[in-house]
Amino acid sequence: MKRTSSLATLLTWLISLSTLLLTACVKEDDYDNSKRGNFEALWRLMDEHYCFFDYKRQELGVDWDEVHTRYAAQVNEKMTNAQLFEVLCNMLAELKDGHVNLSAPFDYGRNWSFYEDYPENYNDSIARLYLGHNYMIASGLKYIVLDDNIGYVRCESFANGIGDGNVSAMLNALATCHGLIIDVRGNGGGQLTTAHTLASHFTNLTLDIGYVSHKTGKGRNDFSAPERLTLYAATDGIRWQKPVVVLTNRAVFSAANDFVNCMKHCPGVTIMGDRTGGGSGMPFNSELPNGWTVRYSAVVFYDADMQHTEFGIAPDLPLSMSGADIAQKKDTYIEKAREYLLSSK
Amino acid sequence: MATAAMLMLSLSVWAQDATPLPSPTGAFPANKEVLHSSMFGIGWSNILDTYLAPYNYTGSDFRFQRETTRMTNLWHAHVCNQRLIDVNFATTDNRAGNHDEYAGGIRYSQGWFYNFGRGNVVNPAERAASPLSLAAGLAATGYLGGIYMVRSGNNPAQLKSSLMVEASALATFDMKIGRRHYVWRYQFSLPLMGIAFSPNYGQSYYEIFSLQNDDRNILFAYPGNMPSMRHRLTVEIPFRRAALRLGYVAQMNQSTFHHLKYHQYSHDIMVGFSKYLYRK
Repeated sequence: MKRTSSLATLLTWLISLSTLLLTACVKEDDYDNSKRGNFEALWRLMDEHYCFFDYKRQELGVDWDEVHTRYAAQVNEKMTNAQLFEVLCNMLAELKDGHVNLSAPFDYGRNWSFYEDYPENYNDSIARLYLGHNYMIASGLKYIVLDDNIGYVRCESFANGIGDGNVSAMLNALATCHGLIIDVRGNGGGQLTTAHTLASHFTNLTLDIGYVSHKTGKGRNDFSAPERLTLYAATDGIRWQKPVVVLTNRAVFSAANDFVNCMKHCPGVTIMGDRTGGGSGMPFNSELPNGWTVRYSAVVFYDADMQHTEFGIAPDLPLSMSGADIAQKKDTYIEKAREYLLSSK
Repeated sequence: MATAAMLMLSLSVWAQDATPLPSPTGAFPANKEVLHSSMFGIGWSNILDTYLAPYNYTGSDFRFQRETTRMTNLWHAHVCNQRLIDVNFATTDNRAGNHDEYAGGIRYSQGWFYNFGRGNVVNPAERAASPLSLAAGLAATGYLGGIYMVRSGNNPAQLKSSLMVEASALATFDMKIGRRHYVWRYQFSLPLMGIAFSPNYGQSYYEIFSLQNDDRNILFAYPGNMPSMRHRLTVEIPFRRAALRLGYVAQMNQSTFHHLKYHQYSHDIMVGFSKYLYRK
């Protein structure tokens, strides 16, 4: 009898708990796949996840609530998908962030003013003359010894992995050079770990290169305490000990921007060229009810002085491509870098 | 490919079980009885993980379950031990049908159940004093899995991992038709407390794994932030010296860690075999 009673109590508890759990459903937020619904979903997604609102308000005067008011008035149910896409892209463009994109089957919304509004300071046809035909390639790093015994390395992207073995093999091949030019102009980024792997071969010491912070909630100011970012000297392979010039332009973005930030702290390294394009937020992806993909900056990377590099890093030695040099099929950046390295022998 | 692998695993486990052993005549002590079962299932899954996407993804679900339940000497042979391995894989897409998401994982559970009265949930057809047998107890359950979103980016996947103490209840009913025993089994499991992994709201896996920056990524889990449960209903249809086992499994995993919402509701129709064995 006692056991039956205990059993009944146990079953009552389990049934009650089960019922309670059925009412505690974790559900998706209400959504509405209309023009207005997609607009609101995008605005709210950015509102709850984007990491630079304070900085963009300070630098650009962007008030995200005011943005909502202004663009909501442009949305109606009669507009076409293309028109909605345009309105949404214009709204996102207010943030002037190359990591903020809206992707639909028919277009890729972006604001690439970080480099489109500035001189390119790079001519691919001319730069290729320096590489010639006999350059070597180590996992995407193209390199050659120029005729004045300066090593020239072209690093177009960090999208593909570059290992310590690749970097060491390249540095070994260039070991007798007086100095090294690392040309990252036009490098739009890729993997941070790849950028750090390459940079780690240019320091003998552990360097504090910045801080990182992520959002901890939906509030615009909900951020974690900044954590220190460290660049560790490569322990596997060769570490370069001679002078280095890193060539930059406005199209140096994202992980490449971070690479320049790392190199700025390395001894014997000079950053030469134009300001980088920035893009210091790590982007995340999400989506709208209609399936369009949204990309946004989610994690903030600061420099070692806790300053944003979202709008780029200034070079140590500013440079512009000379029209006269271009006419003579010379790359001003590479020529100046060679002069600089030879003068510092 | 995963489906084929699960099927092969299921068949190989079954082949292992098919070794001839003494029939369940009741001549053996009750605490020597073991129930082995392997089932493969197919069904439907609904996944929400707001770290990856704010909306539900739905699609097909595949499941493999391997169960071993045996009576023990504990508490005057009233306690049985259940070992349950559950492998799950789901392939889903969003409402627009333009993004795919895959989820999978393995759950391992070790539970101890007290058999009430003269019940025997391991082999009710041979042992129980009445057709209905009931047992309840606790289980230690570990889960390791993940969700992968095909679109690229810095948040393409989500790791799912937990170690929980669960309350669980088992009921068996021996339905005798003619000389045949059709054994119905129902099991309900409820995670009570434990630890679970979650990234913080906007934390990247680069920070967690490459930089090793922890931000309360191992959390105390309880029904308030992880209200989950599992149901399993099976029936054994005697077939020569074993039994064909048909079933239904409902798995409702939910959590709300760091303002991130997650659920995976899976419903699977299961089919497999079970067999009673006797340990020496």
